[in-house]
Amino acid sequence: MQPGGRELEAMNINSLLNQEQSLQEMNNHQNGQPQMSSHFDPTSSHDDFLDQMMSSIPSSNSSFNWDVSSDAARADHALPSTLLSQFDDQSAQLVSKLRQHQISSGAAKALMLQQQLLLSRGLTGNGLRTPSGASGGESGLLQIPLNLTNGDHADVVDGSFQSTNPADDASVQGLFNGFTGTLGQTANQSQHFHHPQAQNFGASAVPGMNQPAASGSTGGGTPAQARQRVRARRGQATDPHSIAERLRRERIAERMKALQELVPNANKTDKASMLDEIIDYVKFLQLQVKVLSMSRLGGATAVAPLVADMSSERRSSNGTQTASSSNNNETMTVTENQVAKLMEEDMGTAMQYLQGKGLCLMPISLATAISAATCHSRNPLAATNNLNTSKNPLLSGEHGGPTSPSMSVLTVQSAAIGGNGAGEASVKDATSFSK
Amino acid sequence: MKARTGYSTSLKQEFLKKWIKGIRIYSNFKKDMNILERKKAIKLSADLAIASTRNASTRWSRTLTANISKNETNKIFVEQIFSDSEVIKKEAPSRLMARSNRIASKKIWRRSHITQIKARKMGPYAVKARSIAKKLVKNRTKVLKSLVPGGENMDGISLIKETLDYIVSLRVQVDVMRRLASAAENSTRSL
Repeated sequence: MQPGGRELEAMNINSLLNQEQSLQEMNNHQNGQPQMSSHFDPTSSHDDFLDQMMSSIPSSNSSFNWDVSSDAARADHALPSTLLSQFDDQSAQLVSKLRQHQISSGAAKALMLQQQLLLSRGLTGNGLRTPSGASGGESGLLQIPLNLTNGDHADVVDGSFQSTNPADDASVQGLFNGFTGTLGQTANQSQHFHHPQAQNFGASAVPGMNQPAASGSTGGGTPAQARQRVRARRGQATDPHSIAERLRRERIAERMKALQELVPNANKTDKASMLDEIIDYVKFLQLQVKVLSMSRLGGATAVAPLVADMSSERRSSNGTQTASSSNNNETMTVTENQVAKLMEEDMGTAMQYLQGKGLCLMPISLATAISAATCHSRNPLAATNNLNTSKNPLLSGEHGGPTSPSMSVLTVQSAAIGGNGAGEASVKDATSFSK
Repeated sequence: MKARTGYSTSLKQEFLKKWIKGIRIYSNFKKDMNILERKKAIKLSADLAIASTRNASTRWSRTLTANISKNETNKIFVEQIFSDSEVIKKEAPSRLMARSNRIASKKIWRRSHITQIKARKMGPYAVKARSIAKKLVKNRTKVLKSLVPGGENMDGISLIKETLDYIVSLRVQVDVMRRLASAAENSTRSL
């Protein structure tokens, strides 16, 4: 269909216009399906036509006018009739703009902006199906490049573009809905010319040009939706490995966010520190369970065997404990045993023993407050000060002297000892953190 | 976020019921236990109870139950408790190990290849920083895997999911136990 002269060009333009017109007619009756393939053929050869069209458009203004007016009569948009007379100017403007775009090849950006605009107007499946005036036309236009490009690339789907997939059945219909848009016939043409350029988005133009023809012609009723391919965001890799990795990372990120709500003190954005918090918290909870299982339910009996068992169990089950902490634990165990024994007999001697060691008793609530205020370390046991539920006396200690500047807090809930009447359970939680 | 953040009272009640049931069975089993045994009994029944609230749908619950049943004496105990309800499954780690070995070797090759590509793109320092960060994360996931029961052979995604569930259950457990303990303490104190 190579046009020989100007007349031929005009005839071609008219034939095209007529074709579009007829298709629009059918579309207005919601019947656009069978004609789609025929319509797409001119699409493929539009590039060939483009220059000729541009040059011949001023010559065929009269025919344009006629077509435009008839189309405007049929279209159900609120376009005032006065605009019809301006179609020549508009079409010329559009054409010139198009030319410029072609030349500068900044069409992609322009179209991006256009698409952004259209997207911002709310792209919905409903909007695509009902060719209601401008919005329908524009959304139809929007859908065209998206669906056509969907057929092209095996890329990651863009969130915004994904919304068009459900309406894939109406994609080609939407194509025609676009033609009943505000700017009328000539604008449709230029829009139509825009479509090929829309495919410059992230990939080469030429295969994009052929693809819509192919996909359009192959799928009368099943356009690009048959292949659920996805598009990449601009500037991102498209090979399947990185997609899989990205998916995986996103999944992990969303789960981490869920965990953030659970774990206290989890305002960290860093994955490593979040994991750290999670680990601490899990250790803390597990310790709490252990502690509570030997509390008051056991009744008032000897405490020392409990403590010894606790420490030995922990040491055996927890192979990751460092040497220093285990040493601390041992000393603590011994101390606790002594104290527990003394407590059974007489509170006074117990207190004296403690003071001799440089330790003191303090209410649990106070100890909790102190530990919360000064807790800097990563030591998980530091958090176990939250263990205390009631105002039981509790041992807290400071290693006096020059050897260790660290403060170790020992929380002990001894089993019910008749002396002070408070039911307690003995537990060893040695936390040491450096100031 | 899944619908388990505000763990419901029904969950707590279920746990409490099962726990007390376990304790009762144990005390019927063996009268006059000393403190140690009592503590073990309490902890055991608590763990079993909280694991059973998940009805073996999560990995950690299955592993927990399996670990408890490994001990012969406990097995009888366990079977008694769950005579009416769930089935105790044993894990099959051998198959998983083989698969994970194959996957691991593939991953190693891919990782080295990717670091090459990245070094060319980003420059050596960025790659080093990234690798350090990855190492940190890896170490910590290892620790987490050791903490969560049954977390050894899981990949990152499911590990976090399991951790989530495990944390919720632990919180329920601690909460109920604490309440019971304080109630017992109050009762003894008032006496």
